[in-house]
Amino acid sequence: MRSGGFGGGGGYSSGRWGGGVSSRINRERSSYKHLGHLAKLFPYILKYKWILIICIAAILCHRGLMAYMPQFMKVAFNDLANPNVEAETYKQAIGLLVTTIVSIIVYVPARRALRRLSISITYDLRQRFFSHVQYQGPSFFNKFGTGDLMSRAVNDINMVRMAVSFGWVNLMVFVFTVIASISFMLSMSPKLTLAVVIPLPLVGLVGFLMARGVYPYYRERQEALADVTSFTQENLNGIRTIQAMAQEENEIERFKDSSTSYIKKFYRATRYQTFMNTYISALTMIAPMIILVYGGMLVMDGEIGIGDFTAFSAYLTMLVGQVSSIGFSLAMFVAAAAGTARIFEVLESDPEVTDDAETAVPQNIEGSLEFRELTYRYPETTIDTLSGVNIKLEAGKTVALLGRIGSGKSTVLKAAVRMIDTPRNHVFLDGHDICDYSVKQLRETITLVPQHAFLFSASVKENITYDNPKRDESEVMHAANSAGLEEALQDLAQGLDTVVGERGITLSGGQKQRATLARGLIRESEILLLDDCFSSVDTRTEELIIDGLQTMRAGKSTILISHRVSTARHADYIYVLDAGSIIEAGTHDELLEKDGYYANLEKVQSNQEQTAQEKEKLLEQLNPTSDSNDVQVASSTT
Amino acid sequence: MSEAVSTQSVAESRDAPETTSDDDVRTEMRNYSAFDQELTHRALNLRMLMRLLRWAKPYKLTLITSSILITLVSALSVLMPIVHSRVVIDTILVPVHAPARFQDFGVVDAYQWLLAFTEWHPLTIALAMSVAMFLITSLMSIAQQLSLTSGALKTLRDLRVDLFTSLERKPASFYDHVGVGRVMTRITNDVENLFNLITSFVQHTGDFVPFIFVVAICFTFDFELTLVGMMIIPLAAIATVTFRWVMREIFRRIRDSVSQLNQYMQEDLMGIEVVQLSGREEYNISEYRKLNQENRRQEFRAINWEVIYESFNTSLTSFASAGVLWFGGGKVVQEEISLGMLYLFMEFLNRMVAPIMGLGYFFNVLFRSMASGERIFQALDWDEQIHEPEKPATLPERLNGAVEFKNLNFAYAGSDQILKDVSFSIEPGEKLAIVGATGSGKSTIIRLLARSYDFDDNMIFVDDIDVNQIRTNDLRRRIGVVMQDFHIFSGTILDNIALSNPNVSRERAIWASRLVNAHRFIEALPNGYETELAERGHNLSQGQQQLLAFARVLAADPEILVLDEATSSIDTGTELVIQEALHNLTIGRTSIIIAHRLQTIQECDRVLVLHQGEVRELGTHEELLEKQGIYYTLHQLQFQDSATASQLTGDPDEMEAERRRRWVEMNPDAESEPFGNDSMGGSGFIGGSGGSGTRPTGV
Repeated sequence: MRSGGFGGGGGYSSGRWGGGVSSRINRERSSYKHLGHLAKLFPYILKYKWILIICIAAILCHRGLMAYMPQFMKVAFNDLANPNVEAETYKQAIGLLVTTIVSIIVYVPARRALRRLSISITYDLRQRFFSHVQYQGPSFFNKFGTGDLMSRAVNDINMVRMAVSFGWVNLMVFVFTVIASISFMLSMSPKLTLAVVIPLPLVGLVGFLMARGVYPYYRERQEALADVTSFTQENLNGIRTIQAMAQEENEIERFKDSSTSYIKKFYRATRYQTFMNTYISALTMIAPMIILVYGGMLVMDGEIGIGDFTAFSAYLTMLVGQVSSIGFSLAMFVAAAAGTARIFEVLESDPEVTDDAETAVPQNIEGSLEFRELTYRYPETTIDTLSGVNIKLEAGKTVALLGRIGSGKSTVLKAAVRMIDTPRNHVFLDGHDICDYSVKQLRETITLVPQHAFLFSASVKENITYDNPKRDESEVMHAANSAGLEEALQDLAQGLDTVVGERGITLSGGQKQRATLARGLIRESEILLLDDCFSSVDTRTEELIIDGLQTMRAGKSTILISHRVSTARHADYIYVLDAGSIIEAGTHDELLEKDGYYANLEKVQSNQEQTAQEKEKLLEQLNPTSDSNDVQVASSTT
Repeated sequence: MSEAVSTQSVAESRDAPETTSDDDVRTEMRNYSAFDQELTHRALNLRMLMRLLRWAKPYKLTLITSSILITLVSALSVLMPIVHSRVVIDTILVPVHAPARFQDFGVVDAYQWLLAFTEWHPLTIALAMSVAMFLITSLMSIAQQLSLTSGALKTLRDLRVDLFTSLERKPASFYDHVGVGRVMTRITNDVENLFNLITSFVQHTGDFVPFIFVVAICFTFDFELTLVGMMIIPLAAIATVTFRWVMREIFRRIRDSVSQLNQYMQEDLMGIEVVQLSGREEYNISEYRKLNQENRRQEFRAINWEVIYESFNTSLTSFASAGVLWFGGGKVVQEEISLGMLYLFMEFLNRMVAPIMGLGYFFNVLFRSMASGERIFQALDWDEQIHEPEKPATLPERLNGAVEFKNLNFAYAGSDQILKDVSFSIEPGEKLAIVGATGSGKSTIIRLLARSYDFDDNMIFVDDIDVNQIRTNDLRRRIGVVMQDFHIFSGTILDNIALSNPNVSRERAIWASRLVNAHRFIEALPNGYETELAERGHNLSQGQQQLLAFARVLAADPEILVLDEATSSIDTGTELVIQEALHNLTIGRTSIIIAHRLQTIQECDRVLVLHQGEVRELGTHEELLEKQGIYYTLHQLQFQDSATASQLTGDPDEMEAERRRRWVEMNPDAESEPFGNDSMGGSGFIGGSGGSGTRPTGV
């Protein structure tokens, strides 16, 4: 989005990140008290202080030259009006030409340097923003959603840039212009200067106050637009559902309401601005009127010449232009201040997981992992997700975790790679607390393949070699084959080079899962954690993959989460988690012997051919629906 | 009808497609890529602008008033400097010798009349004239701006709603090919661009009308001096055109680099978990730096030109002033013009340059909105629609729910035939499971039943009425469809069940939720039915989402239920809850279910096996198994788990007894009434053995 000083080339690109509606609403009402946040930008600006000083000097010089120009007109008009003097206006004309050329020579490099500076500051801010976000933990991303972060990185940095690029230059220009103009005016007629300048602060003050008032209108308008945008987006995303439920007419009505509310807000903002502009221009008219009457009288009395009279008008035009734009500059600062606050809200949040002071840890990992009495509670929740979990993975072995959704299985795996803020002295890698390892080393040693299959908009190959793009093709093929991706790849027109993900071909759920699995397998790390990586893969393929895994991971340690007994039974040892605690543990055979959860699960899963009656009974036991159950719960607790 | 599939008809349909598909299927191949193309038209498209005016019609009075006002305001604003120059300078301060020689547009006469009439101080009269003019101009200007804004906003609101309405009714085949994002920008950004066009058009009229007045006045004053002053106009024009030409490419690159930058960041954020797990943070930072640097490089390039252009433009007036001063000075000495006129010339110079410089910007807006307008009209003109009957059949209060497919052939536009001579019928209240491998045409069957696509008459009947004779909306109210990709909207749970359907009350929604087992988890949520859901239901589990979709369909109470069972596996406990919900959902309803689970199939009365678009087997589960045909093989393959399990465990009867025993053991509380309704308490699947009977289930 560009907006040059010459009239701007860009519109507000709202809607692109319209997702952050609520964040917009929560955005604090901008007011001048935010201006203090701008101080946070100083380190970024001071980096370029020498350029800055030279530029300021040049701009000062330029404004001086600009302010000198009406002097030529003054002389010319005085001479022309004076019958006793032979006017030689070509001299003043040449003077004007020369001054203009000199001012261009001074202005262009200085302005260029300043604009470059603002671009560099934007660059620095953006780079720091991106870098900072890379190291944040899950609670950061819970607090700031993708849409929210994007809106900060795009809109707020843009606002800061506007302020840095134009805002404060305008302010400087304002100050210099006022000083230069008033000095020249004083040199012509102190009396008239005084009379003219007195109403000007009033203009500034009203402009200031009203610009402040326009902000809420403007924001409401943007919010209404964001509402229209997000409504439309969601509606279109769910269009099939809406059509299937024959809800189009209702949705159109809702859209009509939403658009009408938007244009109402828009109209209100425009109305405020129109009246504001009128008030301000009415106030600014006072000064030319004073020149007209009082200046005219001074001319009639012979105190000043007609040239002075016209020069006064010229200076006034200069001043008024500056004074009325100062409101705009201030509004820009206010917006930038709010933007700065939002940017630094992100930049000032510390990463949750950091490398602690170095403790000697082994570099060659054998691959044993142990969870000892691990208890974990997610921030801002009231229940422990894990309580006293003990799991032992010996080097080279495979462990399976089973349990219902929400039983804490994924949290266990996350704790091992510190994707949560793992407490000290509870998780040990080769006998050393994992918190003693650097995060980098830890995550190189332990590969977690997360449950949610995410692919980047890149080729299959780039996705699989995401940790290290330099891997060669044979490695990629090997990993892809081991993950059961072979057939899927054959179907793709460009094989490994096919672009997938959001901006490419959409793979099926199973294919995505296998691709993410390949991404984990290729690293051949000492410990592999698979978080329910076969849920979208059919049973037969799963069997094949697991067979492949057994050879590929021979001698290396693996933990896998599954819902299927058929998967879990391949493991050397099986843990069943429920509500954050281990309720059963043992080998497949041991657990079957035990007749507990695992054994029951095995029965339910393996025997789907039951009579309807049988199933119903089973259902009743598994998932009581009648409300009397709640009563029973209550009674059993008391 | 259950044995409708004869080998003969299969053979026939095999021969048929090539010759008949064009006639059979109403949809033709469309060029959807047109919708994705980047429209960068640079030509002036007047027809499009005229078409836009149609939406302005209801507000024409407002808009015409605004146009008249802007002309008046411009004229008056030009008169004000004349008061200053001709009255104040030439008449009061430095009286010229022969005032009558110089043009003044009656301003001096008005002044003379006022002077004679009021006998005030001359300067007071000049002041009064200026103030009066200012007030009139301001009031008219306010009226002009407000009427313009109101008219333009309403025009575009109507356009936007019409656009939305048209897109809302586009059939599924349209959304199969066109990305939501593309459609989205048409409704939001493109309409917004048109608004910018209207306002900036009027604004530039506001610059251009005075420009014409100014030039006209200058010419009546002095021809030569006007030419001198106007010399800057071609200069400004050349500079502007050159600048825009040079910058177009640079701006494009900047836009590209910004969007790359943003895309990269967005994707990185979406996959941040993978980024961190892969240890890619530093690598990504350096990738981002490259993009950031490219952006900076392009911005720097733009700055070089911008600064020069900017400073050239601001200096133009000074150059012209010098010229006017040079020649005008001589003319004043020779009394060809008055001093006030020279002053006026210099005042007017600004007004000559401003519109030219603004013109460059205006053309930018114009071309951008041209492209936007074309995109909008392209969407409006896209005539892809589901064929609606001319004389729609009136449906009874309640359908019986008999469904019949008669020799149905179907192909999606531009692709091979998907369904070949499909015939079968379902009795009211019957449950039919459809099974088949991926690509066998299962989903197509249910899409056609809901008339998401057009097909020929007399192929699908509901209660013996050809569905093509029923209005799609009426039909869809009677057929509840749960696709695999059902959508959870942001909003409360209640909103999601009712879906802004006024017939679904809160009570009804709760009733529906209870029946499909959703009530329990909803009640357990912090705000119950008022809990706000994130878009796509990210704060619900997959199973919960499924139950919500069931509740939604049940609340609408359709006579016929069509369901595409979710393929992804969920944990066994949740799966059983869903199975039961499914059972309740289908009670008393004709149901067609694309089944992926054996339990679901067994729940159904009959099974239909689709293979490569043909109905190959139809009968009960047991019948088909005995037949040892496709179903048998499918069963062996797809449900291998169960097959191996039965081998392992042997006799099913023995197993049943075994399981009963185990359940009782697991739930000591339930001993007294082993299979009673409330035997498990609220403890869920494994609560009893876990020792904590108080935990809520499945949330």
